[in-house]
Amino acid sequence: MENLTKDLFTVVGKNVEKMDSISRPNLSFWKDAWRRLKKNRAAFVGLCILIVFALLAIFAPMFSQYTYTSMDTSAVNAAPSADHWLGADSAGRDLWVRIWMGARVSLSIGVIAAIINACVGAVMGGLCGYYGGKLDMIMMRIVEILYGIPNLIVVILVMLVLGRGMTTMIVALCITGWIGTCRFVRGEVYRLKEQDYVLAAKVLGVSDFTIVVRHIIPNIMGMIVTNLCMAIPGAIFQEAFLSYIGLGIQPPMCSWGILAKEGIANLRVAPHQVLIPAFFICVTMLALNLLGDGLRDAVDPKLRGTE
Amino acid sequence: MKMKKLLALGLAGVMALSLAACGVPGEEDETQAAGTEAAGSEAAGGETTGGETADGEKVFRYSVKTEPTTLDSAKMNSIGDSELQQIMGEGLLTNNAGEISPGLAETWEISEDGLTYTFHLRDAQWPDGQPVTANDFVYAARRLADPETASPGAWIVSGVLKNGAEVIAGTVPVEELGISAPDEKTVVFELDHPQGYFLSYVGLSGAFFPQRQDIVEQYGQEYAGSAEKLMTCGAFTLTSSADRAYIFEKNPTYWDAENIKLDRIEVYVVENGDTALSMYENGELDYVQIPNASVPNYTDASNHGSYVNGNLDWVYINNEAEYVSNQNFRLALAYAINRENYNILVNNGVYQAWGNIVLPMCDGPEAGTTYGDTVQPEGYPIQGDEAKAKEYLNAALTELGISDPSEITIHFNAWDDETTKRVAEVCQEMWQNVLGINVQIDMVTYGQVYTTIYPNKDYQVGYGGWGPDYADPYTYLYLFHSENVNNYSNYKNADYDALIDASNAETDPAARMDLLAQAEAMLIEQGVNIPLQMRDVHYLLDEDVTGVQFYYVGYNMCPVYADCAPTA
Amino acid sequence: MAKYILKRALAAIVTLFVLITVVFFLVRLIPGDPFNDPKLTDTVRENLYEYYGFDKPLVVQYGMYMNNLLHGDLGPSTRYMNRTVNDMIFESFPYSADLGIRALVFAVSFGLVLGILAALNRGKKLDVVCVLVAIVGTSIPDFIMGAILQYFFGVKWGLLPVAQYKGIEYTILPAAALGFYTLASVSKLMRSSMLEVVSQDYIKTAKAKGLSQGRITFRHQIRNAIMPVITVLGPTVASVLTGTFVVESIFAIPGMGKYYVDSVNNNDYSMILGMTIFYGAFLILCNLIVDVAYGLVDPRVRIGKK
Repeated sequence: MENLTKDLFTVVGKNVEKMDSISRPNLSFWKDAWRRLKKNRAAFVGLCILIVFALLAIFAPMFSQYTYTSMDTSAVNAAPSADHWLGADSAGRDLWVRIWMGARVSLSIGVIAAIINACVGAVMGGLCGYYGGKLDMIMMRIVEILYGIPNLIVVILVMLVLGRGMTTMIVALCITGWIGTCRFVRGEVYRLKEQDYVLAAKVLGVSDFTIVVRHIIPNIMGMIVTNLCMAIPGAIFQEAFLSYIGLGIQPPMCSWGILAKEGIANLRVAPHQVLIPAFFICVTMLALNLLGDGLRDAVDPKLRGTE
Repeated sequence: MKMKKLLALGLAGVMALSLAACGVPGEEDETQAAGTEAAGSEAAGGETTGGETADGEKVFRYSVKTEPTTLDSAKMNSIGDSELQQIMGEGLLTNNAGEISPGLAETWEISEDGLTYTFHLRDAQWPDGQPVTANDFVYAARRLADPETASPGAWIVSGVLKNGAEVIAGTVPVEELGISAPDEKTVVFELDHPQGYFLSYVGLSGAFFPQRQDIVEQYGQEYAGSAEKLMTCGAFTLTSSADRAYIFEKNPTYWDAENIKLDRIEVYVVENGDTALSMYENGELDYVQIPNASVPNYTDASNHGSYVNGNLDWVYINNEAEYVSNQNFRLALAYAINRENYNILVNNGVYQAWGNIVLPMCDGPEAGTTYGDTVQPEGYPIQGDEAKAKEYLNAALTELGISDPSEITIHFNAWDDETTKRVAEVCQEMWQNVLGINVQIDMVTYGQVYTTIYPNKDYQVGYGGWGPDYADPYTYLYLFHSENVNNYSNYKNADYDALIDASNAETDPAARMDLLAQAEAMLIEQGVNIPLQMRDVHYLLDEDVTGVQFYYVGYNMCPVYADCAPTA
Repeated sequence: MAKYILKRALAAIVTLFVLITVVFFLVRLIPGDPFNDPKLTDTVRENLYEYYGFDKPLVVQYGMYMNNLLHGDLGPSTRYMNRTVNDMIFESFPYSADLGIRALVFAVSFGLVLGILAALNRGKKLDVVCVLVAIVGTSIPDFIMGAILQYFFGVKWGLLPVAQYKGIEYTILPAAALGFYTLASVSKLMRSSMLEVVSQDYIKTAKAKGLSQGRITFRHQIRNAIMPVITVLGPTVASVLTGTFVVESIFAIPGMGKYYVDSVNNNDYSMILGMTIFYGAFLILCNLIVDVAYGLVDPRVRIGKK
């Protein structure tokens, strides 16, 4: 300490140019989110699983000696083996191929329906929650009516108009699917719009739309993302339920829901037929959860800039 | 840490509350329902081995898959409904798996021309002590046919009893229906045309069971809405129909009560086949149907058995639709199906592959013979015949002026049901592989199938089938008569109609059977539809139970004359 | 508050009326008709139309239906002849409600605790366990969950009754199967909601004031974090209490759930409407309660004042 003398230091002086510069690169909201997501190892694993599944769904059926419809009486209820990697179903159809054909359907339905539902729900919920009053009252009553119409009727009528297929399923799931997100976003917005930063924005003369989009939505983005990740399996389930009662997609196409449903009948004889689709649904869920958690942290404005 | 404990404590409290606070709704009802101390202890305990609770009581418990739609014998229209009627009701005759014996009628006569049947009643009584009279039968039959009643089962008398069809249509008053009661103890039926199978019909069809006018009128539209709003005079009395369980107690006033061994029959509605199987394995049922997927696990068991339930399944062909109006093309479709493989792929090999249009168990030309053993023509080969199918296809292609089979797309009508869907998938696969044509599966809702699609012939090919109304080949063959409204095949052939009409006029049983066999041969030759299978029902039945009857007409399983070991 | 509730109640009646009207006409668009037996003949079908009044113009039928409805009569079922929709709902609802309450209590209590514990122990072992439970719970469809629970607990290990509804031990498996999804989603939602709240200023303030951790968690954190859960619970309560098809069919419970699918499959119009009205009324009530609860739980929310 005693060696410290004044002549060891020199005055650097003011650097006017540097004073105004911003030390960190100017990151947009999404760029920052992506940067933070990359740092989250668990989220990255989740993302990788989903990508691998998507690739397998696209390519696995192409490179198999079986097609998803080819039946074989000698392979009925076959257990997993070298011939049939994941065994075969009660019509001797190869489950490896069917799982990935099913993944095409289930993942597309899940992801597309969930995203549409989340977007529509967030906008509607945001509007209702922010404006409140009459608009809210009327919207919520419409939502109740939509929710009250038996789902099966909606599905049957959509099928009547559009025929069977993935689009039909997505449309059918979207007609009422957004309501959950809507109600919940509305509740959150009700809570947030009384917050000080919203008041501050209002006082500054920011338009309502901008307040909702720039201030309120980012603050509930975490919850929306969590909700979205839950909504994807939700949509997969809905499809599975509809398959369970027979309103599935056009045969001989299959989905994870249909595979699980067909498998459950053979629970006592060939348990792999239900366990395998269940396993893939579970792993997808796990991946979505990891990714969802990472995304939630990544898009949370309160955690912005923290390492 | 303290907080965690608090949370856990709260949680435990909540759980305890939720379990204890609300009583289970079934508990109370169950006690009332069975009306015995035994049932009460069963409901509360649950650890007893099921229904055989009180000392020496003989209880038979089984499950049915579909909830019965009605308890009214004049409105029933399905095997499930009919089975309950067999337990609690009785007709003039009883039909014990094909063997006709006296029921409420002691004796009967048939007129020379086979058109008039006269039944003489025995002294039987209703549970409230009133005698069973001929009027009860006449009232029930008229009520069934009356358009005002709007019974879905009314078609039963159409073409069977004199004026049957006209009464249903409302063009003739109900009093003109071919049934009358010249006195208190005599019931006279006048038929539309001679029917050798009429006795078996009377024995089975709930439509000809007696009903009490005063009771029906007392409850009006809600007659038979529940056990309390109903009166029957059969071997058992329905004491409760609440909560999708049907409890029958032995009827002490039944005329043949001494030959009824069981004290109680309990029927539960359990839709899920695996659940029912699990209940059986846990000793909660005495009889259960095994779901097809699990059958191989039980075929060696000593309590396993099977019977044919009479339903034939086939692919309906709309004989006037595009491509399939061509006979060679239809035959190509019929020969391309390997029924043995089909049975494995669709039914786990449990049913019987079948290439004919008539059930072989139907009655033959003489008593004690079956149609299948005597005159039935040969059907399509069980294993199919690819070479023949291709021959027919080539012939068809030439006739249709098409060079490449892949230009043809067939629409297969199927509906929302796992089996139906699988049938469609298997047929699609087989036809595409063998014939090289395209098959598109058109999925519809079940509600459309028999209300619009098949009656309007708005399809090309589609899944379907037929269950017999009586044990005679005619029940299947009349389906293809051009005047039959149930002729969903759209098959119109004057020669065929002539054969069927001739069989109706023929009084010699052997000659009649020959005509019917010729008719079936004609259907097969022309590929009118594509038979697939007859259903074998596999079941488990407790080994101490005897006397359960299985049959393919009117009921599938009848426990009325069953006996089982009483509980010690 | 009273004025608000009154206003909402009036709106509820209008909503219900619109719902009934919409569904009344929608169900007629479902292809097919109620009399779908292969053996029916045209004349028999015509008699049936006349009996149930389906031969009249749709508007007249609507008028008749609404008139009966005002008298509390939901009409006869076309599938289950001789029985009225009133009777069928009255008979089956207690089972569904009983099962639903058990499932909800189980799901909400465990779900909240799991979610809270996970959030308080973020990143630790307990958190991982909770998250795994949530994942398994939300990723196994109820028909698999029900069948597997039944097979192992009922058949293989023989610990619990397989099916039916005759005593408390009968309710455990179906309630667990029914509640597991809700449990998992509640815990997931509660966890993320708790994490959201932790970083709020009032928590920091409370900490700065020197409040104990327990007090902060209970008085400030949970009370605020529970709001999104309540929102989601509204419709869930309605649908769980009025019965679910899958669980009731697997466990052979004589509840209402079966009729949702059954009535639509058989075009049983009065039954569909009866179920819709019953469920709709329930749903509207639940939402009303949720909105009121919002005002009670969160002092900052003042609904209806604008």
